[in-house]
Amino acid sequence: MLRAHRLRTLSLGLMAIALVSAGCSSAGSSGGSGPAAGSSTLVIANAVRVDTLDPEANSVNESIWLDQNLYSRLLQPNATGTGLLPDLATSWNISADGLTYTFHLRDARFSNGSPVTASDVVFSIDRSRKFAGGWGFLLTPVKTITARGARTVVITLSQKHAPLLADLAMYAYSIVPAKLVQSQGKAFFAHPVGSGPFYVTSYNPDSEVDLARNPHFYGTKPKISKIRVVIVPNDNTRVLMLESKKADVIENPPGNLTSQIDGTPGLHVDLFPSTRVDFIQLDEHYAPLAKLAVREALNYAIDRSAIVKLAYQGDAIAGASFMPYKMQYFDSSIAPYPYDPAKARQLLAQAGYPHGFKTFLITVSGDIAGQAEAVVVKSELAQVGITVSIQSYELLTAYAKEDGGHSEMGERYWTNDIIDPDEVATFGADCQGGANAFNSYWCSTQANNLVSQARLELNSARRQALYDQIQQIVYAQSPFIVTDYSPYRYGVGSWVKGFHVTPLGNYDLSLETLTVGQH
Amino acid sequence: MSRFGTLPRRLVHLVVILFGITLVTFFLLRLIPGDPALAILGSSYTHQRATAIDISLGLNKPIWTQYALFMGRLFRGNLGYSFFYNAPATTVIVQHVPPTLFLVVYSAVLAGLIALPIGFISGLRRGGVVDQASRVFFTVSFAMPAFWLGIILLLIFSVHIPVFPISGFGSGFAGHLYYLFLPALTIALGFATVLVRSLRAATIATLQAEFIDTARMKGISRARVLRRHVFRNAVLAVVAVYGVNLAYLISGTVLVENVFSLPGLGSLLVNSVSDRDYPVVQGVALLFAVLIVAINLLTDVTQASLDPRVGQEIGE
Repeated sequence: MLRAHRLRTLSLGLMAIALVSAGCSSAGSSGGSGPAAGSSTLVIANAVRVDTLDPEANSVNESIWLDQNLYSRLLQPNATGTGLLPDLATSWNISADGLTYTFHLRDARFSNGSPVTASDVVFSIDRSRKFAGGWGFLLTPVKTITARGARTVVITLSQKHAPLLADLAMYAYSIVPAKLVQSQGKAFFAHPVGSGPFYVTSYNPDSEVDLARNPHFYGTKPKISKIRVVIVPNDNTRVLMLESKKADVIENPPGNLTSQIDGTPGLHVDLFPSTRVDFIQLDEHYAPLAKLAVREALNYAIDRSAIVKLAYQGDAIAGASFMPYKMQYFDSSIAPYPYDPAKARQLLAQAGYPHGFKTFLITVSGDIAGQAEAVVVKSELAQVGITVSIQSYELLTAYAKEDGGHSEMGERYWTNDIIDPDEVATFGADCQGGANAFNSYWCSTQANNLVSQARLELNSARRQALYDQIQQIVYAQSPFIVTDYSPYRYGVGSWVKGFHVTPLGNYDLSLETLTVGQH
Repeated sequence: MSRFGTLPRRLVHLVVILFGITLVTFFLLRLIPGDPALAILGSSYTHQRATAIDISLGLNKPIWTQYALFMGRLFRGNLGYSFFYNAPATTVIVQHVPPTLFLVVYSAVLAGLIALPIGFISGLRRGGVVDQASRVFFTVSFAMPAFWLGIILLLIFSVHIPVFPISGFGSGFAGHLYYLFLPALTIALGFATVLVRSLRAATIATLQAEFIDTARMKGISRARVLRRHVFRNAVLAVVAVYGVNLAYLISGTVLVENVFSLPGLGSLLVNSVSDRDYPVVQGVALLFAVLIVAINLLTDVTQASLDPRVGQEIGE
C-alpha cells in the first residue's frame, strides 16, 4: 500500500516537474496574443513562419515583406510597382557612357542612433552580392562599389546594365551596419539594426515578431507605434482572429471564406494587383508539346474565364503576356487567347494529332486554386480529345518533377522581386538564362538576343519596344500557357485605414501612414 | 531485482534503434524529390545558384561522406546547421520542445482527470446514466478530427464567448495553463475515449473476479473494496494504454499545433520536411525515437512496480 502511494505521488511529482520545466524554459517565448492595445498597435497575422531577417538569405515572401520595414535600401519601388523612389540615396547621377553610377546619401541613422555611412552601403551590397546562391547574379556587370567620403557611393560597371537601379531597390540589397554585422555575425539578425521605419523588439520566428517605431527613421514618423506580426498557419484560425478583432490584418484568407468575411460587418477582403503570373508549363521533351500547333491548340482549348471564376472566385485576370501585368514594360496590347475549341481541334489535326493525345498535369496538393484549375483544364482538354491525368504532389516534389526535363504539363507561378522585367524575361524567355525558359526547354535565339539587348538599353522607349517584341514572341510561340494574373488577398478590419500592398507584395510604405482606429 | 532485470537489455535496444533511425531518416530524406536548394530558390532556381548552395551546405559531397560527417557531429552532440533558420539545429529543436512537452503532459493530465472517474463509474454501473451518456459523448468526440474539434472549440470559447485566447503559448506557468487549455482539451477528449473504454472494460472484468467476492466476504466495506481492490486492479490495464497512446500523442500533436498556432515539435517536423531542412528533420526524428522508447520503457517499469508478475514474465 505504502509503495503504491509513494509511486502515485512520484508520478504526480514528475508531471509537475515536467510542466514546470516546460514553463521555465519557454519563459518569454511568446508575448501573449491579447487584443491590440488601443490604436497604436497593428496586428498582422501571417500564414507562414519567418525564415530569417537576413536580407541576403531571405527566401520566404512574408519574411521579405517584414524585412522591408526594418531596412532601407538605396532606392525603393513606388506604391504601384512601376517606378522607383529615393530611399537612402536622395539623388544619383549616371555617367554619359552609362558605366558609372554615383549615389548621394541622405543624413540617415540606424535604429541604434549611429549614422548610415557610405561604407555601410558598400559593405551591405558586397555582402549580399557574394552570398552563395543569392542574388549576386543580378549584379554580374558590377565591377566596383566604392565609398567616396561618408555620403557618396560609386558603382562602376563592365557593361551597361539597365536594371541596375531596380536591382538595388531589391530586398537583398538592404543596408545593414557594417561594424555590427561583422562583429556579431549571424546572431545580429535575431535583433537586427536597420534604418527603416521600424525595428525589432522581440523575435520568435515561429510565433511572433514584434516591431516598434524607429525613433531615428529619416522619413515621416509612422502613426502606429508598434506592429505585431503573429504566425497563424491555419487558414480558419486566421479568419477567426480577424472576426474576433484580435488581428487587424490577415494574410491570404481562403477563397471560400471571402464572402463570409465580406458579409461580416466591419470586415472586408482587399485584393491587391500583384506580379504573380499563373501558368502551365509545357515541357518540350514530350513530343506533342514540341509542336507549335499543339501549344497553340492548348491555348485555344482552355477557357481562362472558367479558371478565373472557379479557381479564383472571379478575383483574377485572364492571362495574356508572360510578364506580370503590373510592371514596367508590360505589353497591354496582347489579348488573352480566346476560347475556341473548334480552332483547337483544327490545329491538333494539323499537327498530326486529330484524336488528341495522352498527357499529365502536375499540381501541388493542398493548393486549392491549383486543383480547381486542373479540373477545368482536364475537362476542357477532354473536349478536344486530349486526355489529361492530374498528378498531385507535395510542393517541392512537384517542382522537382517539373524542373528536370522529364515532365509534360505542370502548374507553376512566378512572382517578381524587382520592378524591372529583366528578371522575369531572363527566367521565362531566355533559354540560356539558367531556368530553361520556365523549364519548358523552349529555345529561341531571337528571344535570347532581345533579352540581352534590353538589359543593355538605357533608353526607355527603345527598351519598351524590345520588351514588346519579347512578349509577342513568347505569346506567339506559347512555350507555356499563361492562365491568369492572381491578386494578393488580405482580410482587413474597417478600423484599419490605409493598408496597401504593392505589386511586389510589400506593404512597408503603407505602414508609414496607416492608422488603426478604435475597435 | 528480477523485476527490472530487462533494463540493461532495453538500453542496448535503444542504442540499436537510434542507430537505425539515423540511417533510415538520413537516406529516406534524401530520396524525396526536391532538395534544400530548390526549397530555397523556388521559382528562381537555376543550376548555377543551386550548385553554389549545395557547396555552401556541404551537399555536394558523396552521400556516405555526408553520413559519416553527420554521425561524427552527432557523437559530439551537434546536429548540424538548420538550412531554413540559419541557426544550429540543436538550438532550433530545443526552442520547439516546451510547447509540445507542455501540451502532451497537460492533455495527458486532463485526459486522466476526465477519463478515470467516468470510466470507473461506467464500469461499476453498467448501463447507467453515466455509462450511456459517456458512451455517446466519447464516441462522437473520438470521431471528430482534432483540426475540426479545435476550430469548433475556438469558435465557441474564443469568438462567441471570448474566455480563451485564439492562438499562442502564453508566458509563465499560469500563462501556459491558460493559453494551452483549449488545445490540451482538444487532444484530451480524443485520448480520454480510449482510456474510458479500457477502464470500463477492466472494471467490469475485475468486479467479476473471485478475489473481489472473497474481499467482500471478509467483511471489508464496499467503498474500501472498490478503492483498494477493484480500482487498483482495473487501472493497471489503463497504464499500458496510457503509455502507448502518450507516445503516439508526442508525434501526433501536429494538427492541434497548426489549429492553435503553437510553435511545437510537430509543426517543426512537418515544416522542416516540406523545406527539406535535413539537419532539423534528423534531429527531431531522433528526439521522437528517444522519447517513444523512453515512454515505453517507463510504462513497463510502472507496470512492473504495480504488478509484480509483469517484470517476472518479461525478465525470466
